[in-house]
Amino acid sequence: MARYVVNRLGQAIMLLVIVSAIGFAILHMAPGGPLSQFAASAQMTQEDLDRVTRQLGLDRPLPIQYLDWFGRMLKGDWGKSYRDGEAVLSVISSHLGATLELMATATIIAVLLGCWIGILGALRRYSLFDTLATVGAMIALSIPTFWFGLVTIYVFSVKLGWLPAGNRETVGDGSFLDLLHHLIAPAMVLALVETAMWGRFMRSSMLEVINQDYIRTARAKGMPEWRILTVHALRNALLPMITVAGLQFPTLLGGALVAETVFTWPGMGRLFLDSIGYRDYPVVMGILMFSATMVLIGSLLADILYAVVDPRIRVG
Amino acid sequence: MTAATLTSAQLAPGQAAWRRFRRHRLALAGAVIILVLVLGSAFGPYLLPFDDTYIDIMKRFAPPLSGAHILGTDELGRDVLARLMMGGRVSLSIGIVAMVIAMAVGIVVGAFAGFYGGVVGAVLMRLVDAVLCFPTIFLLLALAALTEPGLVTTTVLIAATAWMAVARVVEAQVRALREREFAVAALAFGSSNLRIMFRELVPNAIAPIMVAATLNVAKAILLESYVSYLGYGIQPPAASWGNMLNNAQIYLTSAPWLAIAPGVAITLAVTSFNFLGDGLRDALDPRMNIP
Amino acid sequence: MADSTGKFGVGGLHFGIPNRRQFFQLGAGAAAGWTLSGNAFAQSERPSNPPDKPRGQVIAALSQEPTVFHPLMPGIEVDQGIWWQVFSPLWFIEPDGKFVPDLAREVPTVENGGLSADGLIWKIKLRSDVKWHDGTAFTAEDVKFSLDLINNPDFRVRNRVGHSLVKDIKVVAPDEIHWRMEAPYSPYMSILSLTFIVPKHILEKVSDPNASPFHNAPVGTGPFRWAERVPGDHIQLNANTGYHGKGPYVERVVFKYIPDLTVLYTQFRTGQVDYTGLQGILPNFVQEAKTLKGRKIFVSSTSSVEHIAPNLEFGPFADRSVREALYLAINKQAIIDALNYGLPTQTESFVPQQAWSFQQGLPQHKYDPAKANALLDAAGWTRGSGGVREKGGVKLEFTNSTTSGNAVREQTQQLLIQDWRAIGAAMRVNNMPAAVIWGDFWQQSKFNSVLVSVNFMLGSDPDVTPRFGSGAIPAKGGRGYNTYQYKSEAADRLLADGARQFEIAQRKTTYGELQKLIRNDLAILPLFQGFIAEGVKEGLQGFRPNINTSINCWNIREWYWA
Repeated sequence: MARYVVNRLGQAIMLLVIVSAIGFAILHMAPGGPLSQFAASAQMTQEDLDRVTRQLGLDRPLPIQYLDWFGRMLKGDWGKSYRDGEAVLSVISSHLGATLELMATATIIAVLLGCWIGILGALRRYSLFDTLATVGAMIALSIPTFWFGLVTIYVFSVKLGWLPAGNRETVGDGSFLDLLHHLIAPAMVLALVETAMWGRFMRSSMLEVINQDYIRTARAKGMPEWRILTVHALRNALLPMITVAGLQFPTLLGGALVAETVFTWPGMGRLFLDSIGYRDYPVVMGILMFSATMVLIGSLLADILYAVVDPRIRVG
Repeated sequence: MTAATLTSAQLAPGQAAWRRFRRHRLALAGAVIILVLVLGSAFGPYLLPFDDTYIDIMKRFAPPLSGAHILGTDELGRDVLARLMMGGRVSLSIGIVAMVIAMAVGIVVGAFAGFYGGVVGAVLMRLVDAVLCFPTIFLLLALAALTEPGLVTTTVLIAATAWMAVARVVEAQVRALREREFAVAALAFGSSNLRIMFRELVPNAIAPIMVAATLNVAKAILLESYVSYLGYGIQPPAASWGNMLNNAQIYLTSAPWLAIAPGVAITLAVTSFNFLGDGLRDALDPRMNIP
Repeated sequence: MADSTGKFGVGGLHFGIPNRRQFFQLGAGAAAGWTLSGNAFAQSERPSNPPDKPRGQVIAALSQEPTVFHPLMPGIEVDQGIWWQVFSPLWFIEPDGKFVPDLAREVPTVENGGLSADGLIWKIKLRSDVKWHDGTAFTAEDVKFSLDLINNPDFRVRNRVGHSLVKDIKVVAPDEIHWRMEAPYSPYMSILSLTFIVPKHILEKVSDPNASPFHNAPVGTGPFRWAERVPGDHIQLNANTGYHGKGPYVERVVFKYIPDLTVLYTQFRTGQVDYTGLQGILPNFVQEAKTLKGRKIFVSSTSSVEHIAPNLEFGPFADRSVREALYLAINKQAIIDALNYGLPTQTESFVPQQAWSFQQGLPQHKYDPAKANALLDAAGWTRGSGGVREKGGVKLEFTNSTTSGNAVREQTQQLLIQDWRAIGAAMRVNNMPAAVIWGDFWQQSKFNSVLVSVNFMLGSDPDVTPRFGSGAIPAKGGRGYNTYQYKSEAADRLLADGARQFEIAQRKTTYGELQKLIRNDLAILPLFQGFIAEGVKEGLQGFRPNINTSINCWNIREWYWA
């Protein structure tokens, strides 16, 4: 067991290194640079721009810049943002909370709603409920999330006025209720796709479990139906979901970026977009490394948990 | 006995699959809708009296059904239906071409990795895993920042974010099939490695590949719409469903039909492809073994 | 005299002409609309009935995030929004062009002895009652420190134009400072009006002038003190009750960052923000915004000019008839009325219409595609395949670029494509994000044509040598921003004249000639003068747009709730 974990950890670290190299190369090969925004205001001459480029170390050859960045990252210094000079780690952590709020809320909604729909659908296979749920799930997976967000804003904020049109809180307020009020729309939009996925997975997982022999045996033994469902079926159906949960992270993060854009949510996704726009390399690299790490941790945890829970895997 | 009265078990696999597919009504509906969309985009512009790029600045923001324009006009007075159809050409073809490229790259990488295994396989799959670490959208945006936006680059970018999943699926299948009898037999017959890979193994993995292909088109259309919406994809004056949404955004309150039309189109297309993929999955392998 | 002037390309200022008495009055008063500075003392009329104690808060929305809080470092316009509240300059320019002292006791002129007759010796008397936000007294040492810092080669300063001429700074008394300019430079008065003073007692102790705690918790002498910043969300500033000037009348200012202009407008509409700053309200919302209850909308001109910038070294654009034909085929009215909802005013000049140097009576544009076609036919541009004209193997086809994501500009491009196709010119769109387009693409003249808005004025001075001087072409190694690659001996002569003339009437004539020349040569194809539509909640008094500062929330210290 321990060897399995160590093995996977080693692979994960190697992956992170590759990821960082690829990300760094892509970023720096992109045309334009962090100084272009100043050139637009034309308060700086070409000399001024050259001088600042030198001062930021951006004129060095790319591999040297990469090694410098990598070395410093290993020591814990993720660099400083070109825009406000703050340490990248602090920039990311100040935006992280908002994103995690969104992702957590959406996940909770998605898990509860999705599992409920999935289980019911599995139990009442091919019924009207099931058909509607299946079609609904498919449509939910197919709607462009940002479009759904725009429509939500139009209906609930502009026309009905029930929900605020974006942002995390009303300035000067910031009470729990106010935060919750602002959280509803973006969480709903983010949860849309997640709910559909959880619903589908839960349904097929449940279907597989229900048709197993041991369920039939339990029924034959006279166990009450609800007990069969909760104790046996559900528990076994939920097991594969753990893996799914771990692997959902990248999709969830991507979805959060979309939701944050539409609802001007001050999270990491929007930070990423802004930083790419300004070519704030240190921050972009920081976010890429951070999200890659989270993704790897998610899948690693999923694998480990699965191995813990299902002894068959450990042997193989 | 006619074919209709034979049971599934007695039919040839292809015919059995087709019968199962026909029973999946949603998949059929999806197929029909796709056909309508494709034909509409391909031939529709010839039937309309309006050009999709003709600017009639005096007739901006005409609501749908208010005159000769069925779906109204946009912020520059262009006919929305015409743009929707031309946009359909762009979005649908990007979806399909990106899928083809992603499949080609994914199949090749996956086949090689699965067949040779060992170091080659490990290196290739590690590379695949590394790229998969980036959330798709992050990767797409970073790449989009690097390139000059346009039809070709958008297609290539979307393919670049989709091939990894295909490679994974193919690698797993090829690795599993490698040990099977027909592969060993082919080797014994003296077939070259390449031949075995692409003549024997890959075709046997055709079921998950087809499913992945269909679902990839759906994903590609969604990605194109998002990238164009952000401004990195198809550039004006060319229309795509995504950049129509981009232009419609600031007029959401004054001219909502500009956002509704392309949004509905995207949803229809993607849903249909998804249903199609689902139907294929059920038809080709009723035991639901396909990931 | 090698480098000291900071003027690009055209040689140093020549001071052979004796009469300089009006020189700095000229520089001082050369801001929009005003010629001689009369009353250089008292601050202008206060709005009536402000409260005795600061009351309430102002939530100002910006569509870009201020991230630079050290006012001498490279920043964009929204950063200035913060600087104006936290810091003070020596003096500032009112909307009507009057110079008003802020940290200085009076604006130096030749009459009051602040300036020597030749404009080289500056003696500035400062206020002695100013305190930094941490309680330390403000002295002339701070001014010296700020100027030295600007000229410090290790400091990542925004630019040194004018400042590099300052030598021999002497702190004569805690409230008086003298220095010597290496060369007389009239725009320096305006430049100082936008230069904020930083605290010596804090910044002299930091090890790295480019990064220090001060950069994220600035301390100034302005009407508001730094409270907190939530990155990516908002910045809060609290009233400085010890402010040396009149005001502030609100307890708090919160600058909220809302990147999407549609959402910004929605929040203004629903009352979540009190003031929409840069980039203002989108033109398509202005009509509706004016009908909103409880909101006041201000549409004001900026000193930028929206124009099509041709690369004059690129094939077809080198031919003047092509430029004229293209200009004739632009449907300016449609662009202004339809795409911009009639908000901007059309212009033929690169000088803002409110400036003293604006030349009236320039040839007016007329939308005449027939004439354009005739012109091109006569010039030998014949229609080839696909209706695209060509001459001598060169096709009349080119790209046009602008910042991607700007809806109105993208629509303008669409209209241009169609109108220009009618005269046989094939234009293709090549847009890119801001981070790309303003890099080498613009600086090194790698473009064909760009749809852009530029502020040609240097401070408020019409000296456009960096824009049109033949020695100011960066792509050819020159120093300046002549990305159009415009070369004209006549223009160079006029530019040199204007820079060394002192009498305002003379300068007006010279720059008038220059405007006629540029218009005639069509070095740029001007569209309209820049504008911004801003909204203020009813009851919030004191908002005054100011073309002489780059942001209209420069005077939040005067704002109050009625």
